[in-house]
Amino acid sequence: MKVEISRRKFLQGSVVMSVVGATAISATSLLSKGSKPERVSFKNTKTQNGDAHEIATLCEMCVNKCAALARVENGVITKLNPNPMFPKSKNMLCARGNAGIQSVYDPDRLKYPMIRIGEKGEGKFKRVTWDEAYEAILHGTDKFPGLEKILDEEEDNRSSLLFCAGEGMAEHTFKQFYQAFGSANWLNHSSICLQTVASGYGVTIGAYPLADLDNAEYIIMAGANRAEAIVTPDTMDAFKRTKRRGAKLICIDPRFTNTAAKSDKWLAIKPGTDLAFVLALTYVTLTEELHNKEYVAENFNGFDEYQNSVISNKYTPEWAEPITGIKAKDIYTIAREFAAHAPKAVYYPGRRSTFAKNDFQLRRAMAIFQALHGAIDTKGGLVFGSTLPLKEHEGLQPLYEKAQARAMGKKTPNEEGHTGYDDCAVVSGGGSWISWRNRYIEDRMEYNVRGMFCYKHNPMANMPNTAKTAQMLKKMELVVTIDTMPSDTVMYADVVLPECTYLERTDPIKTFGGVEPSFAVRNKVIEPMFESKPVIDILRGLTKKISKPLFEISKKYDEEIQDEIEDSDEESVYAEFDLTLPFLHSQEEINHHSVAMYIGAAEKLDKDGVFYPKQDKYYKQLSVNEYQYYPENKKAYSIKGGKPITPSGKVECVMESFTSKGIDAMPIWRDEYEFNVPKGKFKLLTGRHAQFTQSGTANNTMLLDLMPENFIWINKRVAEMKNIKFADMVEVSSSIGKTRLKAYPTEKIAPDQVFFIHGFGQECEALTWAYKNGGNDNTIIEDHIEPVYGAAAMHETNVEIRKV
Amino acid sequence: MARYGMALDYKSCINCKACETACKEENGILMGADSHRIWVGTGEIEGQYPMLDIVSNTFYPSQCQHCEEAPCEEVCPTQATYYDEGGIVRVDPEKCILCSYCMNACPYDARYVDNRTMTVDKCNFCADTRLARGETTTACQNTCPTKVRIFGDLDDPNSEISEVLRTREHFSLKANLGTKPKLFYLT
Repeated sequence: MKVEISRRKFLQGSVVMSVVGATAISATSLLSKGSKPERVSFKNTKTQNGDAHEIATLCEMCVNKCAALARVENGVITKLNPNPMFPKSKNMLCARGNAGIQSVYDPDRLKYPMIRIGEKGEGKFKRVTWDEAYEAILHGTDKFPGLEKILDEEEDNRSSLLFCAGEGMAEHTFKQFYQAFGSANWLNHSSICLQTVASGYGVTIGAYPLADLDNAEYIIMAGANRAEAIVTPDTMDAFKRTKRRGAKLICIDPRFTNTAAKSDKWLAIKPGTDLAFVLALTYVTLTEELHNKEYVAENFNGFDEYQNSVISNKYTPEWAEPITGIKAKDIYTIAREFAAHAPKAVYYPGRRSTFAKNDFQLRRAMAIFQALHGAIDTKGGLVFGSTLPLKEHEGLQPLYEKAQARAMGKKTPNEEGHTGYDDCAVVSGGGSWISWRNRYIEDRMEYNVRGMFCYKHNPMANMPNTAKTAQMLKKMELVVTIDTMPSDTVMYADVVLPECTYLERTDPIKTFGGVEPSFAVRNKVIEPMFESKPVIDILRGLTKKISKPLFEISKKYDEEIQDEIEDSDEESVYAEFDLTLPFLHSQEEINHHSVAMYIGAAEKLDKDGVFYPKQDKYYKQLSVNEYQYYPENKKAYSIKGGKPITPSGKVECVMESFTSKGIDAMPIWRDEYEFNVPKGKFKLLTGRHAQFTQSGTANNTMLLDLMPENFIWINKRVAEMKNIKFADMVEVSSSIGKTRLKAYPTEKIAPDQVFFIHGFGQECEALTWAYKNGGNDNTIIEDHIEPVYGAAAMHETNVEIRKV
Repeated sequence: MARYGMALDYKSCINCKACETACKEENGILMGADSHRIWVGTGEIEGQYPMLDIVSNTFYPSQCQHCEEAPCEEVCPTQATYYDEGGIVRVDPEKCILCSYCMNACPYDARYVDNRTMTVDKCNFCADTRLARGETTTACQNTCPTKVRIFGDLDDPNSEISEVLRTREHFSLKANLGTKPKLFYLT
């Protein structure tokens, strides 16, 4: 066999390595007025063979939390290796996991507490002590007000402060601060992340399920790119099998991705039309009676109504062909093949942000299609898995009389009698980020919100329409950010509190549910560098400073507190409002307490980072690469005997309660969902990547080594017509803004679409490598709000392209 | 003495580049596109959207083939390139004079110039790092999500690599050149 795999060919053929920014980089530091050395080089150390020890920890380069063993030599982390003991990550560490070292030793890290001395957003700060930073949060400076002034002026309305956080193991710790503080305004990543998929499956089959890709024989992966957007164990389970050991993979994606490259069949679908595809599959299943009738009779609510809707609406493959761009005969084949393999067949639920406005209904249709075959809670299908219980750390949730409810705008019933909220039908715990932001900048709030605490979160980079986010941050009088790295959001901060990186702290033990459940913990590998601290220590210091003075304000305005004090004494009343209480103990103490009911668990987690009952008996190495975690007969493929876990115990085809909110009770197709792009324009697609995690890794030199910047995919023939060649700079503009990046002409994308990965094009000058590197998608993605949960619909923007 | 080789289940490769990164971190390889001991080769896809040829986008993880008849070793005028006791093709930076004959001689393009030592560098199966510490896997094998690589002793009939090569079909790259590579691509 003749295969040409030369290094040079590789350099030519690959976008990622072709252009390297070898020229001098100059950047101004967030910390000093002067400029950095002209050329910044990053030294990469070789592992040495002398004294070394290993600490078991968990990765935080993305959301997966894979287990790692950190090699430490003379106090320096020289290598991160996979920890084979963890059933979720199964002895692997991806490129980002390996590059975690660079996140610790990144010279741009936030090193000291800082307070703003320049104009808002200008990025001029001065270094202060931790106490001075806490003092500034409480009392403000001549540049910004403190909590005391804000809460006094707002008469103890705790909701005048917004709290927001990104995903992470210590998000819970920060959330305890928010709960004790008493605000109702909490926004997390959910509405720019999994909200609609998680809820769609949640209301239909009872939970957002896992997929047993280790045993599935037939996998439809639609709008999910597991080869690039890595999820453990799904990525390993799927691609160890697809090309060799028998799992057939159907990839449905507008782009030819690495997942498509590993598939048996790739079908290019028009963006946003997956719902029509699923409805047509369902039509074939129902008309050819391919579904599991016994299962449906026993476990479905509203089946007849749904069947009637799908058939009477004539959702035939021939109907779907022009809508989706997928041939009718392929739809027939896939429906039949899926049924033939069921229940060892998976319509993969996916794990991504909302792309189209119909995403919630799409997820409902996918869940119902899967359940029609009885392929849930069963080996080789979608599974719920079991979860080992963990003793929760008690928080503090005082009731503040003056704290207002979440600012979200309740809808007065309109002419159709629809209730719900102004911007969306349902507001979930994590809120709707873009609708909250837009209401805020448009002065549509019910009360004043004047400040925000932002933990491990980068609203400037993480949601559509950056200009509006900047407006929001400018309007906030007090912005406190807790993060490891400078970011476009940190630039707008009034007080910057440096958290240490994940390799310098112990985080709360987490329980990982699944077919092979376990606990895992992130153990501290090295002491925090500079003056950075774990968030729990930061909150301990901060609450110690602010708790008493803020209670004084409550005392002034809160009549219930006044009454209670009269009835008892101030000290015992204050005990209910003492913000320091959740943070009294160290994370290590809390962790040991949380697994105290499992004998030997605490010690095992300290040493190996992973624990589950009977681990010593079950865990063994099977081959040079593979391990057994549980014997086959102990795996939790089924926890309910194949039944859904909704409150009714049935698959819910019809959600009557949604009708009153103006939402379709069943998944149906609406004409406005059809894909269309005005002539001369392109639909902008965005997505994730195996070497980068959103904006969080944008400054990582090891990862930039793999891909120095993002490129825009544009169809090769279209590029030719526009005279755009590889690496030509193009300007991409939408109705809200523009960005510039280099072109990658390719046949992997349709002529009316363009794509580039998210997380590049940062505007923060303190990021040596990420600053103005590549294009920023959120400066051009319009803020379309998905109607059910107010999620950001990210693939609804048309753009123009011009060579510059 | 061992005779080290590597079998690659290349059809499981998803081109995630974990191996490239693990190699750089383990072996202290310099940053930059030209400095890499291992890589994943792939060509630009053939066909026109949406009629694309999936096979044309196959990923080929690659690195030094550790040939038993290594052309690089033959042409080296200073004997900087040598076979170590495990049959691994190594470079002694003390002896290398950067004449670059080896780079031209290598049919697999596996060698590059290390700008620190200004000598030629290449994959050495982590011989001076992991293997020297008694570990039995290379960094690239250990970290791989889909477990593409099996490293081991070809002379040990009980090793997993020997077993795999006995039971599964495989091919070598440019076998016609007679270099006898010790990287085996499993089909």
